Amino acid sequence: MIEVSGLVKKYGDVTAVRGISFTAEPGKVTGFLGPNGAGKTTTMRILTGYTPPTAGKAVVAGFDVFEKSLAVRKRVGYLPENVPLYRDMTAIGYLMYLAEIRGVKNRRSRAEDVLTRVGLLKRAESQIRTLSKGMKQRVGLASALLHDPEVLILDEPTIGLDPFQVLELRDLVKELGKNHTVLFSTHILSEAEQVCDKVVIINRGEIVAQGAPQELRGELERGGRVLVRANGNVDVILTTMQQTNGVKEVTQIPEGFVVTPSEASLDPRPAVAKALVNANIELVEIRPLAVNLEEIFLELTRRVQPDTETPTDESLLAADVVAEAAKE
Amino acid sequence: MRAIFAVYKREVGLFFRSPIAYAITFGLLLLIGLLFSDNVRQIALINQQGQATYGAEEAFLSNLFFITFLMFIVAPLLTMRLIAEEAREGTLEVLMTLPMGESAFIIGKFFAVWTVYTVILLLTLIHLVMLASYGATLDGGLVAVVYFGAWLYGGAVLSVTLIWSAITEDQIVAAFLGAASVLVLFLADRAAEIAANQPSTAGAADFLRELGLTAHYQNTMLEGILRAEDVAYFILVMIACLFITTLITGTRRWRAS
Repeated sequence: MIEVSGLVKKYGDVTAVRGISFTAEPGKVTGFLGPNGAGKTTTMRILTGYTPPTAGKAVVAGFDVFEKSLAVRKRVGYLPENVPLYRDMTAIGYLMYLAEIRGVKNRRSRAEDVLTRVGLLKRAESQIRTLSKGMKQRVGLASALLHDPEVLILDEPTIGLDPFQVLELRDLVKELGKNHTVLFSTHILSEAEQVCDKVVIINRGEIVAQGAPQELRGELERGGRVLVRANGNVDVILTTMQQTNGVKEVTQIPEGFVVTPSEASLDPRPAVAKALVNANIELVEIRPLAVNLEEIFLELTRRVQPDTETPTDESLLAADVVAEAAKE
Repeated sequence: MRAIFAVYKREVGLFFRSPIAYAITFGLLLLIGLLFSDNVRQIALINQQGQATYGAEEAFLSNLFFITFLMFIVAPLLTMRLIAEEAREGTLEVLMTLPMGESAFIIGKFFAVWTVYTVILLLTLIHLVMLASYGATLDGGLVAVVYFGAWLYGGAVLSVTLIWSAITEDQIVAAFLGAASVLVLFLADRAAEIAANQPSTAGAADFLRELGLTAHYQNTMLEGILRAEDVAYFILVMIACLFITTLITGTRRWRAS
């Protein structure tokens, strides 16, 4: 269990984290999502007891990270970004070293257990410097699992892995989420959507949204808009759809037409399809403009950047369609 | 305690597997060996001329003087890596999120490097064996005090240079500043002499002298004088420096990296 309330971290004049609050429940993978420099690593460093917060409170596994730092550190497994390891040690040697500092009993068998868990037992005696990036990542993960911690904090664990390794690691994280509290940071949105039970989106040190990926999507569905592709005279298509009942607005974009219904709950597709067919227009495709996490993220991180140009509705639409097209 | 021992074991193992420790040991022993053989040659010359005013004891003492003097360069080379490398590689972050205080980490590292120095120091005993093989007899008490002092002296100097490894992530900078600060401590009694000549600064002379290394080793223990205050001085230097190093390592938690 991780409970964060009003957490602030300042480095001199720079405020990295501006009063964030969230919880991560046991038996779940909580995704910590944000662009680079959003404050993810800083927050994780506070949660692992590495750096103290400037203000606010964080309770990890039942202990305050600042007042009971050692108790927290005993119960947390941490995989820092870039996975620092001793390159001159063997994988098993490194794990046994950390196990000794942690006071883990049966060090060798425990180290072998976690190496088995991450699928690296056959490289146990290899020098860490000879391991591939993915293998190093797994050694790091194994070191976080050594003492069977209640809470696992993984800072961008999939960075730099090949697609196959990424899939493996995601499965492992999902698996670990079943009986640990896992906080998992990433800036890859589809990853958060696949792996996490809950997503906390952070930008510029502030939480901009949190909830299950599905909830977030529902919250931000933008008014049930649909994409229509049809062949025929553009003016005819536009006027036909504009005159259809329940249609508020029709916009032309390179990929086709975007129809906005007058009410968000109303599905304009049957009426629009009928009207087009009646007008002798060749209807090629009609489908909802689905909102995925990527779009939610883009929109949310745009919203809180007043100093950047406010995007127009058109550019958002274009982004939607580009994202859609990328899927296909 | 467990954590100190774990850090200590790893670090000692690393020293004996890394070329640095061997290179330093080789360099130091070569230099000392050359000076020693030159000393012995001069003694032989003098003795042939029938003026045996210069003996084995002097050769032995000058040997130890050079070993302790050369610590201003040996100590920073041994300690520069210890904390700077962990900070640069990021492994310090891993260690600082383990249930272990900074002090355990620093103490483990310090005892490891002191152990390495002890081994190097023990290797120089070979010169005593050589002197003995030529029939020279040395006072056992003198040898014991001189070596005990050199051991403490090394520990204190290593602890001073360790501070710099905690301050900077750059090993070269750590080594250079470490060497400079040891030289300052070594030359403190010269500064005391200068201060004593000026009425305005004469009051600081004693303080400066007592602060330096020379007043507690080269001028006392190296003459066979064992004083509790000198032993206390070296132990206090070590404790103070390890404390400072621990504090500095701790402040990393507050710094952005």
